[in-house]
Amino acid sequence: MVALARKTLIYEWRRFLPAILAVGFAGLLQLLQAALVLGIFGSASVYITGSSADLWAGYPGTQSVNLGRSIDSGVEMRLRMDPAVTAVEPFHWVDADWRGPSDTGGVSVFVSGINARPDGMLFAHALPPALRARLNEPDAVIVDRADLDSLGVKVGDSAVINGHRVRVVGVSSGLRALGGVNVVASLATAAELDTDPSNANRMTYFVAKLRDPALADDVAARLRGTSAFGKYDVWTAQDFARRSQLYWMFDTGAGAGVLFLAGIVFLVGAVITSQTLVAAVIGSVREYATLNALGVGVGALRRVVMEQAFWVGALGLIGSTLLGAIALAIARSRSVPVALDPWTTLACLALGMGLAIVSGLAAMRSLRRADPATLLR
Amino acid sequence: MSAQPQVTPTVSLQARNLTKSFSSGPIHHTVLHDLTLDVHAGELTLISGPSGCGKSTLLAILSGLQAADSGHVMALGQDLGVLGMRELERFRLLHTGFVFQGFNLFPALNALEQVELPLSYLGLAPGEARRRAVASLEEVGMGPRMELRPSELSGGEKQRVAIARALAKEPGLLFADEPTSALDAANGQIVIDMLHRIARTHGTTVLCVSHDPRLVGHADRVLAMEDGRILSDRVPSATLTSGHEDPSA
Repeated sequence: MVALARKTLIYEWRRFLPAILAVGFAGLLQLLQAALVLGIFGSASVYITGSSADLWAGYPGTQSVNLGRSIDSGVEMRLRMDPAVTAVEPFHWVDADWRGPSDTGGVSVFVSGINARPDGMLFAHALPPALRARLNEPDAVIVDRADLDSLGVKVGDSAVINGHRVRVVGVSSGLRALGGVNVVASLATAAELDTDPSNANRMTYFVAKLRDPALADDVAARLRGTSAFGKYDVWTAQDFARRSQLYWMFDTGAGAGVLFLAGIVFLVGAVITSQTLVAAVIGSVREYATLNALGVGVGALRRVVMEQAFWVGALGLIGSTLLGAIALAIARSRSVPVALDPWTTLACLALGMGLAIVSGLAAMRSLRRADPATLLR
Repeated sequence: MSAQPQVTPTVSLQARNLTKSFSSGPIHHTVLHDLTLDVHAGELTLISGPSGCGKSTLLAILSGLQAADSGHVMALGQDLGVLGMRELERFRLLHTGFVFQGFNLFPALNALEQVELPLSYLGLAPGEARRRAVASLEEVGMGPRMELRPSELSGGEKQRVAIARALAKEPGLLFADEPTSALDAANGQIVIDMLHRIARTHGTTVLCVSHDPRLVGHADRVLAMEDGRILSDRVPSATLTSGHEDPSA
């Protein structure tokens, strides 16, 4: 079989280049957009994804981790009583107001009071053990390196949270939050900073580690069944993280914006690609008509056009993948929040290929002009 | 009269009472008027006439590229009027070759690939397709240049590749529409001789449409057409040896 589609693509590459570039850039834009959205909104759940806990217990109906309401401390006992649970740890969330040594105005901060022991679950992935140990110093707090400017402090400086003096003992990365600044403290320090008297003997969340994390769904279902310690609910870490991200994505309208932009990128890419493929078909229409006169069926000619569309898509997406990898590496090195999982990557690439296929279908229509009777004059 | 032809030429292409007209808005134009015609196998039949006389339309109908408004076409014993689009494509694939005025070669393919391309749709094994393609390129004298692309070939050479492409399918019917009008005299001569030789050696029915008067001497039979009718049907003197009687001899 003579590889007409591929040979034409190679020989007339200049003709096909705009289509390859259109698919490539459309794919790149989709990838980067997805990576940014996942990166930015992924930080909404950094408390969950940065921790090693399998289960989260909190106030029923909590839509996002930053919107927690306190639950009875007795829930800790309920969790510990379950044989599948190996460890339980409290998480004290305090919304607070920061005053730094330099004039930064009011800065809204989220204080995370965590267990500072080396085996603590919260922020296990975000805080190295040595840094975590420093939280045991009185009034010690840790912030993200990228937040130092907005807080107006350096490591070692003191500041005031909710009228209580604290000291920045270190910085970490991967603690950036949405809508405010994360400040990590020990449980004891956080308790000092919490000025709400109704929170006495109550805790925002309890997190638990399981003997077998694969059973998280079952254990969560079992634990949420009881109401002996007041109102609370139990979620797996994965569910709670996703719920927090979706809340931010749709509460802020960013989700709709992303979908809208993805649609626009698809449309523009499809217009350019289909026009280029149509021009390529029209450029060869007399040759196609000759083949049809010689008895090569219209179906076979359509396959040639679709094969060209496929190769245009494949070449474009190889370009998007390479450029996307470079762009993400640069973004990571500059602390730009980006995150991309294999499924999202596949979805973006599939969208790019879909664009090429749709364009091929559009170009296929112009094969109607390949009527061999028009070759006779 | 030596009028005892040894073999009665086989009629391979029959047209009966063909009419065809085109409408362009209010203007109604009849291109073929009740045209009846027999074309013989093993001959080069030339249809000549001024442009607009309907000869290309006749070729399109006889080759199954277009349908007549009324009348019948029997090609190799098959009534083309009863075939659907798919079946017509299949018939053309198996039985007909075409040579056009423009050579219509794919710029990306070399001469060998141009000829192999339609063969691959015939369902031939790759080795057989290659063998046939090489054989027909050699037959048209393009053997040494079959690795070249159209941009590296002259007009005459391109037309010879186009002839090889049509010939490689070993068609019973070969249609040529103004095959020489884009060529100079020498190349035109080569091409028409080639078509003539194909008719003789392969027993192919070669039907050629042209307004080029230089071709008349090379045909076995010349049909003069005007205003959708055949005005004369004669055997030119140069082909006296073919066994037909020539009144001027």
